[in-house]
Amino acid sequence: MHWIIYAAVAIVLWGVNGLLMKLGTNRVSARSMVIWVTCGFVILLPAMLKLTGLAGLSTRVVLVGLIAGAVNGLGNWAVFACLEKGAKASVAIPLTALYPLCTVALAMAFLKERPTGLQWIGIALAVAGGAMLSYELAPTKSPEEQLPCVQ
Amino acid sequence: MQTNGWQFPVWLGYALLCIFWWGLWGFLSKIGSATASPLQMQILFTFGMLPVAMGMLLHMRGKVDREPTGIACGLLSGIATGLGTLGYFAALRTQDASVVTPLTGVFPILTVALAFVVLRERLNKIQAGGMVLALASIVILSF
Repeated sequence: MHWIIYAAVAIVLWGVNGLLMKLGTNRVSARSMVIWVTCGFVILLPAMLKLTGLAGLSTRVVLVGLIAGAVNGLGNWAVFACLEKGAKASVAIPLTALYPLCTVALAMAFLKERPTGLQWIGIALAVAGGAMLSYELAPTKSPEEQLPCVQ
Repeated sequence: MQTNGWQFPVWLGYALLCIFWWGLWGFLSKIGSATASPLQMQILFTFGMLPVAMGMLLHMRGKVDREPTGIACGLLSGIATGLGTLGYFAALRTQDASVVTPLTGVFPILTVALAFVVLRERLNKIQAGGMVLALASIVILSF
């Protein structure tokens, strides 16, 4: 099959997932969502283990992979908590998709990688885009809700 | 509608926390993928998620929310993410990451479109502009 079909499958599934995350957190708590989502990942485990094994991997790589998985799980909890606290899916999903910005920063700090000119433009756009996406104006309180002004 | 101006919302704190955790995940994946295949990494990620889920379960004293639609959304979310990742890896077998990753990075467009139709969510003009810039940055940073 052509690679673009596989890429399209990824886009559709990840895109639909953003909606599922919001629909789910409208009904169950963020912590419960972490548990159910992890169950969803576990369902795929036997099929993945059929395709490949973990033999031959060094202890260091296995440890890094496991820690990465745990960190990913904590990120999942944070995005569910974000949606649970009222973030729109159409804001939270594009905003959290900016995580490569943090990856680039970590690679700069610990792997001494230096961004190219184009990547610097990407970083600037990510910061500006993130700030603009976060711009949610608080609704005006009705006069009854407002505290009396002390003269 | 009149507004009181911008206030730091609680959800934004969690979004920034998520960016940090997923950013760290991306960094660790980068280190691990030097010797492990993407599929092997995905298997390790799944095993790595288990202690977090167990921690949540213990913290809730085993009282997981069991609303059927919520459970279905959670399970489907995990399956969709996992299968989407497998599709992404399959595309990488015959095409360079510098082509596939920026392309698949535009998936939030679909979420925004679905949220517009299904959840009737509306972005203000500043947020819509922010989404365009965010997508451009995702594509650029994926190279």
